Amino acid sequence: MQFGNNRWVSVSFVEAIVLCLIASFRLINIESTITLLIFNLLFTSLIFQLKGAVNKKLFLLALGNIIGLFWSYVFCSVSAVGTSVFGDGFNSIYAIFFPFLNFTWVVSFWSLSLAVLTPQANAGTEAKA
Amino acid sequence: MIIEALEIIFLFCTLLIVTYLVRHYIFTVAVLRKDKKTAKPKAVLAVNYEPTVSILIPARDEELVVGRLLQRMTQLTYPHDKMQVVVIDDASSDSTGQIAEEFAKRHRVIEVLHRDQKTGGKGKAAALNAGLKRAAGEIVLCFDADYYPQKDIVEKLVKEFVDPAVGAVQGRPVVLNEAQNVVTRLVTLERIGGYRVDQEAREQLGLIPQFGGTVGGFRRSIVEKFGGFDESMLTEDTDLTFTLYLAGYKIRYAGDAECYEEAVDGWKAYWRQRHRWARGHMQVCFKHAFSVLRSRKLNLKEKIDGLLLLNMYFVPVVTLVAFLVGVSLVLYGASQFFSVLWLFVPVSFYSLAGNFAPFFEIGIGAYLDGRTRIQFLIPLLFLAYMYNILICTKALLDLFAAKMLGKKQVNWAKTQHFGDRNRYIMN
Repeated sequence: MQFGNNRWVSVSFVEAIVLCLIASFRLINIESTITLLIFNLLFTSLIFQLKGAVNKKLFLLALGNIIGLFWSYVFCSVSAVGTSVFGDGFNSIYAIFFPFLNFTWVVSFWSLSLAVLTPQANAGTEAKA
Repeated sequence: MIIEALEIIFLFCTLLIVTYLVRHYIFTVAVLRKDKKTAKPKAVLAVNYEPTVSILIPARDEELVVGRLLQRMTQLTYPHDKMQVVVIDDASSDSTGQIAEEFAKRHRVIEVLHRDQKTGGKGKAAALNAGLKRAAGEIVLCFDADYYPQKDIVEKLVKEFVDPAVGAVQGRPVVLNEAQNVVTRLVTLERIGGYRVDQEAREQLGLIPQFGGTVGGFRRSIVEKFGGFDESMLTEDTDLTFTLYLAGYKIRYAGDAECYEEAVDGWKAYWRQRHRWARGHMQVCFKHAFSVLRSRKLNLKEKIDGLLLLNMYFVPVVTLVAFLVGVSLVLYGASQFFSVLWLFVPVSFYSLAGNFAPFFEIGIGAYLDGRTRIQFLIPLLFLAYMYNILICTKALLDLFAAKMLGKKQVNWAKTQHFGDRNRYIMN
């Protein structure tokens, strides 16, 4: 991924992140917005300290927000359909497991982002099966 | 009324979980900052400090691995006239004793201490105490029989004792058989979180680096003053950590002193090892928690870190309680505030039980170690944590049962080692 340090590219990534946060709050629920905020906080405070181009990290952060938004939207839709078909019991099950499902994308995306950002020079030193 | 009680329990459990998450977030930030400042690893200090050193190797039925370690002992670069290696053959029923004797015949630096069925087999702490009586060195280092250290590890560990306030030092274990299967890879992640970030951050922030009982050492005079290791403890290393700190000594973490270890390679062996650790850690918590609170030798941040460290193995039990109570609250219609708090419970499920390193800390640790592929396994921490919830809950129940029934708690619940991981060692 080559984004250089183009300021406009950075601005568009930041815009995408803000739009995702607004959309999750207005269209989905507060829990999905808080999950996105936790993800953004961890990402900006930890991953942004690592080596690599800022725009590459911003791209990953924006991508994470888009995936998170999409993920929450899909599960909210499943909840709405499930509740109308199976009744309120489905909604309770959804409420219990939604945070666990929500963090599935956070953790997976976190590990993928770090794998992408790890300097290739070190990658060869790993144990191979 | 019941709902309010459940809400209070849930609030308490979640706050505890959040406290640990914040603590490990601080650890991660501290290590990242340090890494930015010092790009190169710490070099061995060029000080002329070469105290006499005794290396204790407690071994019980370790015929498959002890030879590998003893061979390495003969290759250590520390002056051999200032070094003594004591193998404690603790009532082994295999040929551990004979192998050690053969090495002792060929190398003057190696001695063997045999303990028969009557005197031996009473646990690692008892074996170390026996070895301590034979030890003549000013500094005593300990290695488990399945370990394989760097040639200059003694220099790297011993240099920390230049400071007279240092009572013990801890090096870094690195998993030798990482590529074997998913269990060994998860243990590798655990070691990365525990040592590359946790221990490093504690050292950095002036908290309480933990003495791990192996790949580490202590001043003989201090431990002798305490009367040796407490043989009633299952985790004598954690006990020594707190005994030292409560007596006003410090422990240093030497991250550049690396030593290979054989990680457990199956879920059953993992259960046995972690169950012993969890139970032992809980024992130490009951022994030292109040002393840590009252201590005048510890500052506030050491007290906080000490208490969080002591309570580490209770956290999986707390998350189980938080989950069960949280489910009840969701079903009975909890307020919005609690549904937001409910979000923090799953974060803890993507952590490691042994050091409560959450996924973000492990990821950063693996990055700092230059690891790419192992990052892909981080989502699997969820399964490992669920397993650890069962382990820690069982350990707690067993500890209570043992207390109530007055059962003896210490034996050699040792991990079986196979020695077929020599293929991973490339000299």
